[in-house]
Amino acid sequence: MAYLSFPRFSAYLHRLVVRLGLVLAVAGAALSLPARGEPGDFTIGGFGTVGMARTNTNDVEFVRDLSQPRGARKRWTGNVDSILGLQANWRINSEFAAVVQGVSRYRYDRSYTPEIAWAYLKVDPSPTLSMRFGRLGTEFFMLADSRLVGYSYLPVRPPGDYFWSLPFSSINGADAALTVPLADNTLRGKIYYGIADGKIPLEDEQWNIGGSPMMGAYLEYQAGPWLLRGSYANIRFNSNLPILQNFYSLVPHYLTADQARTSLDYLRVDGTRSHYYSLGLVYDNGPWQFQLMLNSIDQGSRAFADSYAGYALAGYRIGSVTPYLGYSWVRSRNYSPSSLPGVTQVQADSFSRQGTTIVGARWDVARNVALKAQWDAIRGDSASIFPFRRERPGWDGRVDVFSLTMDFVF
Amino acid sequence: MRRLPFSALVALLPLVAAPSALAQSSATGGLAVVVNARCGVAVLTRNEVVNIFFGRYRLFFNGREAQPADLEDSHPMRSQFYRRLVGKDISEINAYWSRQIFSGRMRALPKVATPEEMTQWIVANPCGIGFVEQAKVDARFNIVFELAP
Repeated sequence: MAYLSFPRFSAYLHRLVVRLGLVLAVAGAALSLPARGEPGDFTIGGFGTVGMARTNTNDVEFVRDLSQPRGARKRWTGNVDSILGLQANWRINSEFAAVVQGVSRYRYDRSYTPEIAWAYLKVDPSPTLSMRFGRLGTEFFMLADSRLVGYSYLPVRPPGDYFWSLPFSSINGADAALTVPLADNTLRGKIYYGIADGKIPLEDEQWNIGGSPMMGAYLEYQAGPWLLRGSYANIRFNSNLPILQNFYSLVPHYLTADQARTSLDYLRVDGTRSHYYSLGLVYDNGPWQFQLMLNSIDQGSRAFADSYAGYALAGYRIGSVTPYLGYSWVRSRNYSPSSLPGVTQVQADSFSRQGTTIVGARWDVARNVALKAQWDAIRGDSASIFPFRRERPGWDGRVDVFSLTMDFVF
Repeated sequence: MRRLPFSALVALLPLVAAPSALAQSSATGGLAVVVNARCGVAVLTRNEVVNIFFGRYRLFFNGREAQPADLEDSHPMRSQFYRRLVGKDISEINAYWSRQIFSGRMRALPKVATPEEMTQWIVANPCGIGFVEQAKVDARFNIVFELAP
């Protein structure tokens, strides 16, 4: 059990703050340069979150998403939500633009090594058609492509029950979006295709999902303050879970190589295709904000359970403070039970059956700076261990998460 | 551990202490959304104005492309405009644009510093569109939508 010792944890925070300070100083200098929307211009902007989170138990670790190998326990940690992103935009002319975005956050290898999240060339052949080529964020679900920009949404982080099963954040590929007017409302469709890029930390190893082709599409109808979106996406995995090393330790009794191979073949992920369906409804008018999202995931591999998830979130702005209330849930379904040795144990790792009550407030304290405080009350089955990290036997499925963040954009 | 909130706040001081609203008189009368008269657009619905200023759709019914300009954040007329148009606070407008910009959907609208520059923008672009005090509208502009106080 090599969890973060206090000095090491403290060093993380210190390094983060120093980096944030340095980058903000540089960005501050950049901001004082004139930046106007003229053709041929070059602009730099950024976003970030300084966050602290803790829970009320040491029995599990709470993570923001699957990319995080370690999470929050009883001690405050800055790793869950802290992030810094910098984006450079070069507008070549009215048709072409190039964008690069780098992001530093706690990631699969327990470092804050910056990554290129976006790097693309955007072509707008007409005011209604837009195409992008390069490294792109994915919109598997509504708002999934701005999950890291805390300033852009109401709660501290996108509801985990809904987004946890979404480890993919970038593809190398292309997308195209078309907008069509319907009276004074708009209909927008988008399609994308690309090769996934990313690593998912497992117990001791990392699962590299790079090279897996994914594609998707959505249709979105905007009518005044209402926005309705339906979307579909799929990914065809091209690698297996790296569980071979651990597999023998999962199974207490003697196992022949043949038996192990049969079990692993049953749990094969390589070559399987998972399907993602979602529906989102957003109402945003005056002081009110309301979101309702539903998704259904059909897994191709017998190693993972299919699932339903959803959330509802409502906020009402009073002056510069917006209290909000939400509920999210996730339910595994359609297991493929088997008496083959080890199968049940591997499947148990992706099981979830829980709901989360979210209570919090966002305070827009200054221009482009928001402070947020949030309480997440997660109530689940004790077997609902996905995607928590390092759960201890005997955990009762309940965890409360307390979060404080400062989000900013520049 | 206690060091984080404090040093983070120090690091952010330049942002928090950004210049507050300029001491300029704000429009007490009506605001009007105006289009360059040469563009040939006479009237828009509230939804159409929202579509243009939120970057959702920017073609007029006659097929010409709207060229909107926004005011700098610090100008009080900007918050009046969005409050009257959609009932939203400036922080919510900026949150909306941060989502658009950092998910690469679109760029922010071009920004001008003063209402005078706004009228210059509208005159200089064949289908320029912006918001001005209704009392200051002349023949160079078509009022396409009125926002009562």
